[in-house]
Amino acid sequence: MYEFAYCAPGTVEDAIGILAQDEDALPLSGGMTLLPTMKQRLRQPSRLVDLNRIPSLSGIHVNGEHLVIGSTARHTQVASSPDVSAFCPALAGLAGNIGDPQVRNRGTIGGSIANNDPAADYPGAVLALDATVITNKREIPGDDFFTGMFSTCLEEGELVTAVRFVRPSRAAYVKFPNPASRYAIVGVFVAEMSAGVRVAVTGAGPCAFRWHAAEAAMAGGLARGSIANLRIEGVNLNDDIHASADYRAHLATIILGRAVAAAFKD
Amino acid sequence: MELEGEQFIRAPRETVWAALNDPDILGQCIPGCEQLIRTGENQFDGKVTAKVGPVKATFAGGVTLSNITPPASYTITGEGKGGVAGFAKGGADVHLTEQEGGTLLVYTVKAAVGGKLAQIGARLIDGVAREYAEAFFTKFCTIVEAVPPSSAAAPGVVPSNPSANSEPSSTVAPESKKWLIVAAAGILAVLLYMVISSG
Repeated sequence: MYEFAYCAPGTVEDAIGILAQDEDALPLSGGMTLLPTMKQRLRQPSRLVDLNRIPSLSGIHVNGEHLVIGSTARHTQVASSPDVSAFCPALAGLAGNIGDPQVRNRGTIGGSIANNDPAADYPGAVLALDATVITNKREIPGDDFFTGMFSTCLEEGELVTAVRFVRPSRAAYVKFPNPASRYAIVGVFVAEMSAGVRVAVTGAGPCAFRWHAAEAAMAGGLARGSIANLRIEGVNLNDDIHASADYRAHLATIILGRAVAAAFKD
Repeated sequence: MELEGEQFIRAPRETVWAALNDPDILGQCIPGCEQLIRTGENQFDGKVTAKVGPVKATFAGGVTLSNITPPASYTITGEGKGGVAGFAKGGADVHLTEQEGGTLLVYTVKAAVGGKLAQIGARLIDGVAREYAEAFFTKFCTIVEAVPPSSAAAPGVVPSNPSANSEPSSTVAPESKKWLIVAAAGILAVLLYMVISSG
Protein backbone atom coordinates (compact mmCIF):
# COMPACT_ATOMS: atom_id res chain seq x y z
CA MET A 1 0.00 0.00 0.00
CA TYR A 2 1.24 3.46 -0.85
CA GLU A 3 1.03 6.38 1.52
CA PHE A 4 -2.13 8.43 1.51
CA ALA A 5 -3.78 11.14 3.58
CA TYR A 6 -6.99 10.50 5.46
CA CYS A 7 -9.82 12.67 6.63
CA ALA A 8 -13.31 12.07 7.97
CA PRO A 9 -15.57 15.05 7.36
CA GLY A 10 -18.87 15.40 9.19
CA THR A 11 -21.07 16.60 6.34
CA VAL A 12 -21.62 15.73 2.69
CA GLU A 13 -20.78 19.30 1.71
CA ASP A 14 -17.39 19.10 3.42
CA ALA A 15 -16.67 15.76 1.76
CA ILE A 16 -17.54 17.11 -1.68
CA GLY A 17 -15.41 20.17 -1.04
CA ILE A 18 -12.36 18.12 -0.14
CA LEU A 19 -12.84 15.80 -3.12
CA ALA A 20 -13.18 18.79 -5.45
CA GLN A 21 -9.83 20.21 -4.35
CA ASP A 22 -7.87 17.05 -5.04
CA GLU A 23 -8.54 15.06 -8.18
CA ASP A 24 -6.64 12.06 -6.85
CA ALA A 25 -8.69 11.87 -3.65
CA LEU A 26 -11.27 9.12 -3.35
CA PRO A 27 -14.32 8.71 -1.15
CA LEU A 28 -14.19 5.76 1.25
CA SER A 29 -17.35 3.95 2.23
CA GLY A 30 -16.97 0.35 3.38
CA GLY A 31 -13.72 -0.05 1.47
CA MET A 32 -14.34 -3.71 0.72
CA THR A 33 -13.17 -3.32 -2.85
CA LEU A 34 -11.05 -0.20 -2.64
CA LEU A 35 -8.83 -1.24 0.27
CA PRO A 36 -7.77 -4.62 -1.19
CA THR A 37 -7.04 -2.78 -4.43
CA MET A 38 -4.87 -0.27 -2.60
CA LYS A 39 -3.08 -3.05 -0.74
CA GLN A 40 -2.21 -4.54 -4.12
CA ARG A 41 -0.90 -1.11 -5.15
CA LEU A 42 -3.33 -1.08 -8.01
CA ARG A 43 -4.76 2.22 -6.90
CA GLN A 44 -2.90 5.13 -5.39
CA PRO A 45 -5.27 7.78 -4.06
CA SER A 46 -3.66 10.87 -2.58
CA ARG A 47 -6.32 11.02 0.11
CA LEU A 48 -9.23 8.99 1.39
CA VAL A 49 -12.31 10.95 2.35
CA ASP A 50 -14.09 8.72 4.85
CA LEU A 51 -17.87 9.02 4.55
CA ASN A 52 -18.64 6.86 7.57
CA ARG A 53 -18.85 9.70 10.09
CA ILE A 54 -21.45 11.66 8.18
CA PRO A 55 -24.64 11.14 10.22
CA SER A 56 -27.01 12.04 7.36
CA LEU A 57 -25.73 9.13 5.24
CA SER A 58 -26.68 6.41 7.69
CA GLY A 59 -30.02 5.13 8.84
CA ILE A 60 -32.85 3.00 7.54
CA HIS A 61 -36.46 4.07 7.61
CA VAL A 62 -39.79 3.16 6.05
CA ASN A 63 -41.96 5.88 4.63
CA GLY A 64 -45.29 4.45 3.52
CA GLU A 65 -44.66 2.40 0.38
CA HIS A 66 -40.98 3.34 0.32
CA LEU A 67 -37.93 2.10 2.15
CA VAL A 68 -34.99 4.48 2.35
CA ILE A 69 -31.57 3.07 3.19
CA GLY A 70 -28.70 5.48 3.84
CA SER A 71 -25.67 4.95 1.65
CA THR A 72 -23.33 3.98 4.50
CA ALA A 73 -25.69 1.38 5.99
CA ARG A 74 -23.74 -1.86 6.44
CA HIS A 75 -24.99 -5.06 4.88
CA THR A 76 -25.37 -6.45 8.40
CA GLN A 77 -27.58 -3.54 9.40
CA VAL A 78 -29.83 -4.08 6.39
CA ALA A 79 -29.95 -7.84 7.00
CA SER A 80 -30.90 -7.47 10.66
CA SER A 81 -33.26 -4.50 10.37
CA PRO A 82 -36.84 -5.34 11.41
CA ASP A 83 -38.03 -2.56 9.11
CA VAL A 84 -36.34 -4.10 6.08
CA SER A 85 -37.56 -7.60 6.97
CA ALA A 86 -41.12 -6.35 7.27
CA PHE A 87 -40.87 -4.30 4.08
CA CYS A 88 -39.21 -6.89 1.86
CA PRO A 89 -37.73 -10.07 3.35
CA ALA A 90 -35.97 -10.78 0.08
CA LEU A 91 -33.91 -7.61 0.43
CA ALA A 92 -32.90 -8.46 3.99
CA GLY A 93 -31.97 -11.94 2.81
CA LEU A 94 -29.90 -10.54 -0.02
CA ALA A 95 -27.91 -8.34 2.35
CA GLY A 96 -27.41 -11.26 4.75
CA ASN A 97 -25.80 -13.39 2.06
CA ILE A 98 -23.34 -10.90 0.62
CA GLY A 99 -19.74 -12.09 0.86
CA ASP A 100 -18.63 -13.18 4.29
CA PRO A 101 -19.20 -11.77 7.82
CA GLN A 102 -16.23 -9.45 7.54
CA VAL A 103 -17.53 -7.94 4.32
CA ARG A 104 -21.06 -7.65 5.70
CA ASN A 105 -19.80 -5.82 8.77
CA ARG A 106 -17.95 -3.21 6.72
CA GLY A 107 -19.45 -3.11 3.25
CA THR A 108 -22.17 -0.58 2.48
CA ILE A 109 -25.06 -0.38 0.05
CA GLY A 110 -23.82 2.92 -1.37
CA GLY A 111 -20.36 1.54 -1.97
CA SER A 112 -21.75 -1.57 -3.60
CA ILE A 113 -23.88 0.21 -6.15
CA ALA A 114 -21.36 2.98 -6.86
CA ASN A 115 -18.67 0.36 -7.50
CA ASN A 116 -21.12 -1.64 -9.64
CA ASP A 117 -19.19 -4.86 -9.70
CA PRO A 118 -20.73 -7.14 -12.35
CA ALA A 119 -21.37 -9.81 -9.72
CA ALA A 120 -22.55 -7.61 -6.87
CA ASP A 121 -25.94 -8.43 -5.34
CA TYR A 122 -27.42 -5.00 -4.60
CA PRO A 123 -27.69 -3.81 -8.23
CA GLY A 124 -30.19 -6.62 -8.82
CA ALA A 125 -32.36 -5.33 -5.98
CA VAL A 126 -32.13 -1.75 -7.21
CA LEU A 127 -33.44 -2.77 -10.64
CA ALA A 128 -36.08 -5.26 -9.51
CA LEU A 129 -37.51 -3.11 -6.71
CA ASP A 130 -37.81 -0.04 -8.95
CA ALA A 131 -35.44 1.84 -6.67
CA THR A 132 -34.32 5.43 -6.93
CA VAL A 133 -30.70 6.33 -6.23
CA ILE A 134 -30.48 9.58 -4.29
CA THR A 135 -27.31 11.64 -4.56
CA ASN A 136 -26.21 15.01 -3.25
CA LYS A 137 -27.30 16.49 -6.59
CA ARG A 138 -30.35 14.62 -7.84
CA GLU A 139 -32.54 11.55 -7.82
CA ILE A 140 -31.66 8.90 -10.42
CA PRO A 141 -34.07 6.15 -11.51
CA GLY A 142 -32.48 2.79 -10.85
CA ASP A 143 -33.03 1.80 -14.49
CA ASP A 144 -30.69 4.63 -15.55
CA PHE A 145 -28.05 4.27 -12.87
CA PHE A 146 -25.96 1.30 -14.02
CA THR A 147 -24.27 2.00 -17.34
CA GLY A 148 -21.79 -0.87 -17.73
CA MET A 149 -19.08 -2.86 -16.07
CA PHE A 150 -17.94 -0.89 -13.00
CA SER A 151 -19.57 2.21 -14.39
CA THR A 152 -22.57 4.26 -13.35
CA CYS A 153 -24.04 7.59 -14.37
CA LEU A 154 -22.53 9.24 -11.27
CA GLU A 155 -20.67 12.41 -12.18
CA GLU A 156 -17.60 14.02 -10.68
CA GLY A 157 -18.46 15.46 -7.31
CA GLU A 158 -21.53 13.31 -6.93
CA LEU A 159 -22.02 10.94 -4.00
CA VAL A 160 -24.76 8.44 -3.37
CA THR A 161 -26.56 9.52 -0.20
CA ALA A 162 -29.39 6.96 -0.05
CA VAL A 163 -31.37 4.38 -1.99
CA ARG A 164 -35.17 4.43 -2.00
CA PHE A 165 -36.92 1.12 -2.72
CA VAL A 166 -40.57 0.59 -3.65
CA ARG A 167 -42.54 -2.02 -1.69
CA PRO A 168 -43.24 -5.19 -3.68
CA SER A 169 -46.30 -7.36 -3.10
CA ARG A 170 -43.95 -10.34 -3.21
CA ALA A 171 -40.32 -10.80 -4.14
CA ALA A 172 -37.40 -13.17 -3.94
CA TYR A 173 -33.69 -13.17 -4.67
CA VAL A 174 -31.81 -16.37 -5.44
CA LYS A 175 -28.17 -16.56 -6.43
CA PHE A 176 -25.75 -19.25 -7.42
CA PRO A 177 -22.72 -18.07 -5.46
CA ASN A 178 -19.10 -18.66 -6.19
CA PRO A 179 -18.19 -21.02 -3.35
CA ALA A 180 -15.10 -19.01 -2.44
CA SER A 181 -16.10 -15.38 -2.75
CA ARG A 182 -19.92 -15.70 -2.52
CA TYR A 183 -20.14 -13.38 -5.46
CA ALA A 184 -23.09 -14.23 -7.69
CA ILE A 185 -22.16 -16.33 -10.69
CA VAL A 186 -25.80 -15.71 -11.54
CA GLY A 187 -28.35 -14.02 -9.31
CA VAL A 188 -32.00 -13.34 -10.15
CA PHE A 189 -34.24 -10.93 -8.26
CA VAL A 190 -37.95 -11.22 -9.05
CA ALA A 191 -40.50 -8.74 -7.72
CA GLU A 192 -44.22 -8.30 -8.19
CA MET A 193 -44.81 -4.57 -8.13
CA SER A 194 -48.05 -2.63 -8.52
CA ALA A 195 -46.93 -1.75 -12.05
CA GLY A 196 -46.07 -5.33 -12.97
CA VAL A 197 -43.44 -7.99 -12.53
CA ARG A 198 -39.80 -6.94 -12.63
CA VAL A 199 -36.93 -9.36 -13.11
CA ALA A 200 -33.28 -8.37 -12.65
CA VAL A 201 -30.23 -10.52 -13.35
CA THR A 202 -26.83 -9.93 -11.79
CA GLY A 203 -23.51 -11.73 -12.15
CA ALA A 204 -24.28 -12.92 -15.65
CA GLY A 205 -23.44 -9.86 -17.74
CA PRO A 206 -21.18 -6.78 -17.67
CA CYS A 207 -23.52 -5.36 -15.04
CA ALA A 208 -26.98 -6.11 -13.65
CA PHE A 209 -29.79 -5.85 -16.18
CA ARG A 210 -33.55 -6.26 -16.47
CA TRP A 211 -34.68 -9.48 -18.13
CA HIS A 212 -37.52 -8.06 -20.17
CA ALA A 213 -38.55 -11.34 -21.81
CA ALA A 214 -39.07 -12.90 -18.39
CA GLU A 215 -41.09 -9.90 -17.29
CA ALA A 216 -43.26 -10.14 -20.39
CA ALA A 217 -43.77 -13.86 -19.86
CA MET A 218 -45.09 -13.13 -16.37
CA ALA A 219 -47.08 -10.05 -17.28
CA GLY A 220 -50.12 -11.49 -15.51
CA GLY A 221 -48.22 -11.96 -12.28
CA LEU A 222 -45.37 -14.02 -10.86
CA ALA A 223 -45.64 -17.68 -11.76
CA ARG A 224 -48.54 -17.00 -14.08
CA GLY A 225 -46.49 -17.48 -17.22
CA SER A 226 -44.26 -20.05 -18.80
CA ILE A 227 -40.65 -19.30 -17.98
CA ALA A 228 -38.98 -22.71 -18.17
CA ASN A 229 -37.89 -22.29 -21.78
CA LEU A 230 -36.75 -18.69 -21.61
CA ARG A 231 -33.15 -17.97 -22.47
CA ILE A 232 -31.35 -14.66 -22.07
CA GLU A 233 -30.70 -13.03 -25.41
CA GLY A 234 -29.13 -9.80 -26.52
CA VAL A 235 -26.60 -9.61 -23.68
CA ASN A 236 -22.93 -10.50 -23.86
CA LEU A 237 -22.82 -12.86 -20.91
CA ASN A 238 -19.65 -13.19 -18.89
CA ASP A 239 -17.31 -15.96 -19.89
CA ASP A 240 -14.51 -16.64 -17.42
CA ILE A 241 -12.72 -19.28 -15.40
CA HIS A 242 -15.77 -19.70 -13.16
CA ALA A 243 -18.44 -20.27 -15.79
CA SER A 244 -18.90 -20.08 -19.52
CA ALA A 245 -21.45 -17.79 -21.12
CA ASP A 246 -23.58 -20.78 -22.12
CA TYR A 247 -23.48 -22.12 -18.60
CA ARG A 248 -24.57 -18.76 -17.23
CA ALA A 249 -27.42 -18.53 -19.72
CA HIS A 250 -28.67 -21.95 -18.69
CA LEU A 251 -28.17 -21.16 -15.02
CA ALA A 252 -30.16 -17.95 -15.30
CA THR A 253 -33.23 -19.86 -16.45
CA ILE A 254 -32.86 -22.34 -13.58
CA ILE A 255 -32.31 -19.61 -11.00
CA LEU A 256 -35.28 -17.66 -12.35
CA GLY A 257 -37.49 -20.67 -11.72
CA ARG A 258 -36.14 -21.04 -8.19
CA ALA A 259 -36.62 -17.34 -7.48
CA VAL A 260 -40.24 -17.45 -8.61
CA ALA A 261 -40.83 -20.51 -6.43
CA ALA A 262 -39.10 -18.81 -3.49
CA ALA A 263 -41.36 -15.78 -3.82
CA PHE A 264 -44.30 -17.97 -2.82
CA LYS A 265 -42.64 -19.59 0.18
CA ASP A 266 -43.26 -16.86 2.73
CA MET B 1 -7.96 -14.75 -23.95
CA GLU B 2 -9.18 -14.44 -27.47
CA LEU B 3 -11.64 -11.88 -28.65
CA GLU B 4 -13.30 -11.55 -32.02
CA GLY B 5 -15.46 -8.77 -33.29
CA GLU B 6 -16.45 -6.73 -36.26
CA GLN B 7 -17.59 -3.23 -36.97
CA PHE B 8 -19.31 -1.88 -40.06
CA ILE B 9 -18.06 1.56 -40.98
CA ARG B 10 -19.89 3.73 -43.47
CA ALA B 11 -16.79 4.94 -45.25
CA PRO B 12 -14.65 3.73 -48.16
CA ARG B 13 -11.96 1.22 -47.34
CA GLU B 14 -9.14 3.63 -48.22
CA THR B 15 -10.50 6.10 -45.73
CA VAL B 16 -10.68 3.47 -43.03
CA TRP B 17 -7.21 2.27 -43.84
CA ALA B 18 -5.79 5.76 -43.69
CA ALA B 19 -7.47 6.34 -40.35
CA LEU B 20 -6.08 3.08 -39.01
CA ASN B 21 -2.66 4.45 -39.86
CA ASP B 22 -3.12 7.82 -38.28
CA PRO B 23 -1.71 7.94 -34.74
CA ASP B 24 -3.79 11.00 -33.93
CA ILE B 25 -7.04 9.23 -34.74
CA LEU B 26 -6.01 6.03 -33.06
CA GLY B 27 -4.93 7.92 -29.98
CA GLN B 28 -8.33 9.56 -29.75
CA CYS B 29 -10.04 6.19 -29.93
CA ILE B 30 -8.10 4.44 -27.20
CA PRO B 31 -9.80 5.07 -23.88
CA GLY B 32 -7.35 6.83 -21.58
CA CYS B 33 -4.61 7.21 -24.19
CA GLU B 34 -2.25 9.97 -23.15
CA GLN B 35 0.23 9.72 -25.95
CA LEU B 36 1.03 7.72 -29.00
CA ILE B 37 4.34 8.26 -30.71
CA ARG B 38 5.90 6.69 -33.73
CA THR B 39 9.34 5.35 -32.92
CA GLY B 40 10.10 3.50 -36.11
CA GLU B 41 8.68 2.68 -39.48
CA ASN B 42 6.36 0.08 -38.03
CA GLN B 43 6.60 0.86 -34.37
CA PHE B 44 4.82 3.04 -31.90
CA ASP B 45 5.13 3.76 -28.22
CA GLY B 46 2.07 4.65 -26.24
CA LYS B 47 0.98 5.47 -22.76
CA VAL B 48 -2.50 4.66 -21.56
CA THR B 49 -4.11 5.28 -18.23
CA ALA B 50 -6.70 2.63 -17.75
CA LYS B 51 -9.36 2.76 -15.09
CA VAL B 52 -11.62 -0.15 -14.40
CA GLY B 53 -13.60 0.02 -11.22
CA PRO B 54 -11.24 0.59 -8.32
CA VAL B 55 -8.12 -0.05 -10.35
CA LYS B 56 -6.25 2.72 -12.05
CA ALA B 57 -2.92 2.08 -13.67
CA THR B 58 -0.79 3.62 -16.34
CA PHE B 59 0.59 1.27 -18.93
CA ALA B 60 3.50 2.04 -21.20
CA GLY B 61 3.60 -0.11 -24.24
CA GLY B 62 5.18 -0.63 -27.59
CA VAL B 63 3.38 -1.82 -30.68
CA THR B 64 4.68 -3.31 -33.89
CA LEU B 65 2.87 -3.75 -37.20
CA SER B 66 3.48 -6.64 -39.50
CA ASN B 67 1.87 -8.58 -42.34
CA ILE B 68 0.88 -5.26 -43.81
CA THR B 69 -1.29 -5.59 -46.90
CA PRO B 70 -2.76 -2.19 -47.64
CA PRO B 71 -5.56 -1.46 -47.68
CA ALA B 72 -6.85 -4.85 -46.59
CA SER B 73 -5.16 -6.18 -43.47
CA TYR B 74 -2.33 -6.18 -40.99
CA THR B 75 -1.23 -7.75 -37.74
CA ILE B 76 -0.32 -5.73 -34.75
CA THR B 77 1.51 -7.11 -31.79
CA GLY B 78 2.53 -5.37 -28.66
CA GLU B 79 3.08 -5.40 -25.00
CA GLY B 80 2.47 -3.04 -22.16
CA LYS B 81 3.95 -2.71 -18.72
CA GLY B 82 1.90 -1.39 -15.86
CA GLY B 83 4.48 -1.21 -13.10
CA VAL B 84 3.48 -3.23 -10.07
CA ALA B 85 0.19 -4.07 -11.74
CA GLY B 86 1.86 -6.47 -14.11
CA PHE B 87 2.25 -6.74 -17.82
CA ALA B 88 0.26 -7.71 -20.84
CA LYS B 89 1.10 -8.74 -24.30
CA GLY B 90 -0.86 -9.77 -27.29
CA GLY B 91 -1.72 -9.17 -30.87
CA ALA B 92 -4.55 -8.49 -33.22
CA ASP B 93 -5.32 -9.38 -36.80
CA VAL B 94 -7.35 -6.70 -38.53
CA HIS B 95 -9.07 -7.21 -41.87
CA LEU B 96 -10.94 -4.68 -43.95
CA THR B 97 -13.52 -5.85 -46.48
CA GLU B 98 -15.42 -3.66 -48.87
CA GLN B 99 -19.15 -3.95 -48.56
CA GLU B 100 -22.23 -2.27 -49.89
CA GLY B 101 -22.21 1.23 -48.41
CA GLY B 102 -18.98 0.96 -46.49
CA THR B 103 -16.29 -1.20 -45.01
CA LEU B 104 -16.42 -4.16 -42.68
CA LEU B 105 -13.63 -4.21 -40.12
CA VAL B 106 -13.04 -7.64 -38.60
CA TYR B 107 -10.62 -8.12 -35.74
CA THR B 108 -9.26 -11.00 -33.71
CA VAL B 109 -7.43 -10.12 -30.55
CA LYS B 110 -5.29 -12.49 -28.53
CA ALA B 111 -3.92 -11.33 -25.24
CA ALA B 112 -2.28 -12.59 -22.11
CA VAL B 113 -1.56 -10.93 -18.80
CA GLY B 114 0.98 -11.61 -16.12
CA GLY B 115 2.14 -10.36 -12.78
CA LYS B 116 -0.21 -9.17 -10.11
CA LEU B 117 -3.08 -8.64 -12.48
CA ALA B 118 -3.04 -12.25 -13.55
CA GLN B 119 -2.51 -13.45 -10.00
CA ILE B 120 -5.49 -11.67 -8.63
CA GLY B 121 -7.91 -13.24 -11.00
CA ALA B 122 -9.19 -13.67 -14.46
CA ARG B 123 -12.84 -13.14 -13.65
CA LEU B 124 -13.24 -9.96 -15.63
CA ILE B 125 -10.69 -10.11 -18.39
CA ASP B 126 -13.02 -11.02 -21.20
CA GLY B 127 -15.64 -8.51 -20.21
CA VAL B 128 -13.20 -5.65 -19.89
CA ALA B 129 -11.45 -6.50 -23.13
CA ARG B 130 -14.77 -6.56 -24.91
CA GLU B 131 -15.80 -3.20 -23.48
CA TYR B 132 -12.48 -1.65 -24.44
CA ALA B 133 -12.65 -3.04 -27.94
CA GLU B 134 -16.22 -1.86 -28.38
CA ALA B 135 -15.38 1.58 -27.02
CA PHE B 136 -12.43 1.81 -29.37
CA PHE B 137 -14.26 0.80 -32.51
CA THR B 138 -17.37 2.82 -31.72
CA LYS B 139 -15.25 5.94 -31.37
CA PHE B 140 -13.18 5.00 -34.40
CA CYS B 141 -16.32 4.53 -36.45
CA THR B 142 -17.69 7.90 -35.34
CA ILE B 143 -14.50 9.72 -36.25
CA VAL B 144 -13.99 8.02 -39.58
CA GLU B 145 -17.56 8.55 -40.68
CA ALA B 146 -17.43 12.21 -39.71
CA VAL B 147 -14.20 13.06 -41.52
CA PRO B 148 -14.52 13.77 -45.22
CA PRO B 149 -12.37 11.23 -47.00
CA SER B 150 -9.46 12.86 -48.70
CA SER B 151 -9.47 10.75 -51.81
CA ALA B 152 -12.98 9.37 -52.05
CA ALA B 153 -16.46 10.78 -52.51
CA ALA B 154 -18.93 11.74 -49.81
CA PRO B 155 -18.11 10.17 -46.43
CA GLY B 156 -20.09 7.21 -45.34
CA VAL B 157 -22.97 7.75 -47.69
CA VAL B 158 -21.79 6.59 -51.03
CA PRO B 159 -21.06 2.89 -51.41
CA SER B 160 -17.39 2.33 -51.82
CA ASN B 161 -16.19 1.69 -55.30
CA PRO B 162 -13.88 -1.31 -55.63
CA SER B 163 -12.00 0.29 -58.47
CA ALA B 164 -11.01 3.18 -56.23
CA ASN B 165 -8.75 0.97 -54.15
CA SER B 166 -5.73 0.49 -56.25
CA GLU B 167 -4.47 4.01 -56.41
CA PRO B 168 -4.83 5.19 -52.82
CA SER B 169 -3.34 2.02 -51.47
CA SER B 170 0.07 2.84 -52.78
CA THR B 171 0.11 6.18 -51.01
CA VAL B 172 -1.21 4.72 -47.81
CA ALA B 173 1.10 1.78 -47.61
CA PRO B 174 4.06 3.43 -45.91
CA GLU B 175 1.76 4.81 -43.26
CA SER B 176 0.17 1.57 -42.33
CA LYS B 177 1.65 1.13 -38.92
CA LYS B 178 -0.88 2.26 -36.43
CA TRP B 179 -2.86 -0.91 -35.99
CA LEU B 180 -0.60 -1.43 -33.11
CA ILE B 181 -2.65 0.91 -31.12
CA VAL B 182 -5.66 -1.28 -31.41
CA ALA B 183 -3.72 -4.17 -30.07
CA ALA B 184 -2.26 -2.09 -27.30
CA ALA B 185 -5.71 -1.06 -26.20
CA GLY B 186 -6.80 -4.65 -26.02
CA ILE B 187 -3.77 -5.60 -24.03
CA LEU B 188 -4.16 -2.84 -21.54
CA ALA B 189 -7.76 -3.67 -21.06
CA VAL B 190 -6.94 -7.23 -20.22
CA LEU B 191 -4.53 -6.22 -17.51
CA LEU B 192 -7.01 -4.06 -15.77
CA TYR B 193 -9.73 -6.61 -15.59
CA MET B 194 -7.76 -9.06 -13.66
CA VAL B 195 -7.06 -6.65 -10.88
CA ILE B 196 -10.62 -6.23 -9.92
CA SER B 197 -11.57 -9.76 -9.29
CA SER B 198 -10.26 -9.96 -5.77
CA GLY B 199 -13.19 -8.17 -4.14
